[in-house]
Amino acid sequence: MTTGNDPVLQVKHIRKSFGNLEVLKGISLEAHEGDVVSILGASGSGKSTFLRCINLLEVPDAGEIRVAGEQVAFKRGRHHLQVPADRRQVDRMRPELGMVFQSFGLWSHMTVLQNVIEGPLHVQKRPRAECIDEAEALLEKVGMADKRNHYPAFLSGGQQQRVAIARTLAMRPRVILFDEPTSALDPELVGEVLKVMRSLAEEGRTMLVVTHEMGFARNVSNRVVFMHQGVIEAQGTPQEMFNEQHSERFSRFILSHA
Amino acid sequence: MAARAAAWAGRSLTRLEVGLQVIDLIGFGAKGWGGVLLLAALMTVLVTLAAMAVGAVLGALVAAAKLHPNALLRVLGEGYTTVFRGIPELLVIYLFFYGGSALVSSVGGLFGAEGFISMPAFLVGALAVGVVSGAYQAEVYRGAFQAVSRSELEAAKAIGMPLMLRFRRIIAPQILRFALPGIGGVWQISLKDSALISVTGLVELMRASRVAAASTGQFVLFFMTGCALYLVLTGISNLVLSRAELRVGRTFRRS
Amino acid sequence: MSVDIAFIGDTLVQLLHALPITLLLFAASVAVGTLLALLVVWLRVCDVAALRHLARGYIFLFRGSPLLIQMFLLYYGLSQFPEVRQSPFWPVLREPLSCAVIALALCTAGYMAEIFRGGLLAVPPQQIEAGRAAGMSGWLLARRIIIPIALRSCLPAYSTEIILMMKATSLASLVTVYEVSGVAQRIIAETYRTLEVFLCAALIYLVLNFLIVRALAWLERRLSPRHPVLACPTTKKYALSVPRG
Repeated sequence: MTTGNDPVLQVKHIRKSFGNLEVLKGISLEAHEGDVVSILGASGSGKSTFLRCINLLEVPDAGEIRVAGEQVAFKRGRHHLQVPADRRQVDRMRPELGMVFQSFGLWSHMTVLQNVIEGPLHVQKRPRAECIDEAEALLEKVGMADKRNHYPAFLSGGQQQRVAIARTLAMRPRVILFDEPTSALDPELVGEVLKVMRSLAEEGRTMLVVTHEMGFARNVSNRVVFMHQGVIEAQGTPQEMFNEQHSERFSRFILSHA
Repeated sequence: MAARAAAWAGRSLTRLEVGLQVIDLIGFGAKGWGGVLLLAALMTVLVTLAAMAVGAVLGALVAAAKLHPNALLRVLGEGYTTVFRGIPELLVIYLFFYGGSALVSSVGGLFGAEGFISMPAFLVGALAVGVVSGAYQAEVYRGAFQAVSRSELEAAKAIGMPLMLRFRRIIAPQILRFALPGIGGVWQISLKDSALISVTGLVELMRASRVAAASTGQFVLFFMTGCALYLVLTGISNLVLSRAELRVGRTFRRS
Repeated sequence: MSVDIAFIGDTLVQLLHALPITLLLFAASVAVGTLLALLVVWLRVCDVAALRHLARGYIFLFRGSPLLIQMFLLYYGLSQFPEVRQSPFWPVLREPLSCAVIALALCTAGYMAEIFRGGLLAVPPQQIEAGRAAGMSGWLLARRIIIPIALRSCLPAYSTEIILMMKATSLASLVTVYEVSGVAQRIIAETYRTLEVFLCAALIYLVLNFLIVRALAWLERRLSPRHPVLACPTTKKYALSVPRG
């Protein structure tokens, strides 16, 4: 349990290289409850890699990760690479850091409802009736309740992503990580997903969002982080970043991506 | 201590002897079957090539039939592929072997020849395996034809290319490119099916292995050698086909 | 040439008498082969390099050589060794039927292992990642996500292999098992009426194939995602029996 002022998520000095290419050069970030952090940057700046390091889909070469006060333990594995020390700890922490993917990743052999209750039922081992009830409520919230018996293959991209968000929420995460959630969507469908994300932000959820949607970064988030070539070039409130133009590079970035 | 050493020496000598005997048997000396097996392997390749040739002709015809606007032709084509992919190859071999021989005998009878004339085993084998491979090849050609890009064909029509030229310059090369992997697979299947031709008496690799094994009593040795030779054949085929696929696909980008 | 109904009828009866043997060969070899293939593919994808190479060798051996030579190797080869003849397994191993089943199973396991491997490789990595992100790993991840999707992917290829197995049972006749093809060959050799016997035997195999294809198509339909409104309702484990308030 965190006390009021402790950050829900604390990440320090994350480094990550792929072969000879150093993608993350020492990144630190903190998120308190209720923070909605937008992470912006050009492709290749390392933003997705950074997000994936947080829930250990990529393992950082160095650095600390603390979720709700609990530190992720690492050890030296094969070829002297760093690996998580306790797989069970990783499995336990991941649901706390729910992730929404660019490619949705809905399980194709399960219906919408089955997708949403899968995690709570089989990973968190909650009673089935409770899982179903909560799933129905979440699907209602994202506007997909009437599609509960549909298979993902029959849904549009926007619909699938909304189901994916419901699926993540069903695990009751402390922080939700969004990895470019609207980048794979047709422009008409982006709006419905952003609407759901906005309502989550207004509820007070803690969210880390890697995105290209400037509108979201400017209007919904309470902190904007700009990454460039593996480091955090600038961060601040949307007001500071967009209007007061604290970083020249960031201003150029906004202009080219507007 | 000395007794143990002597016993070990005795056992090693026996093993050496057995090893030499084995080399003798599969080698090329007077008692050796090596030459026979290699020739038989060559026969296997030849009969498979003949079968693939028969199959290519039949397959092309059947594929054309299945793609034809005429419904009767399509049904006949469908029937051919269903039957010859659905029944055991052994039955087809029996059909050509016994049936073919009966046919030849009765034709021979018309000319005054007496008794039973058997059809040449090579012909039986090539026809039987050919008819079966034709069914598989038909499917490959059909799929390859349907994969040819419509827009490229239309572009050719639009610049006024006549039908034969279109076929020669656009359709056929593309069909070959798409069909190559599939035909490679059919080749491998036919290579293994050729072992069944041994029931006709043709001395290909399977029969040679069996004869060698039966006459020496060394079943494991000769069947394993035969097996190894088949593996060599399929292995070489794999290499050749992958190379060919790479060369044919050279001018096309992986889509 | 008159059609001899009596002969055809008689032939059919004789062939049908051999049908149970064919079915037994088919069912036993498919069952054993599938189980063996699951073991082989597990070795093929496991972490130990030596086991992976072993599995690759197995697959190469049984897919690269004809089934017939494998069957002869087993049937004649086993009887060559006195050690085998004196072992407790001998009463089973000397039976042509068991030899045939073992040879068929070993061969099909090689093909099926490759098919299963293809299915595993076809599982979209995004769905596996989503499983990991939800906290699944190891056996849970395999059981709930990877294996169900892999199975659905490889079903068409697996069905093709099943059909090939039905045809492969005919090879047992060459090691003295009297299944349908063996009886057919015997009748032809005795009566020289090739065409009629061929047609009868072909008919039996075609009917068998038809039934198998239908059964597999039904299975494929059952397992594939369907539109809930257009398809008929199915009973699911997570049936929504929660009453709407």
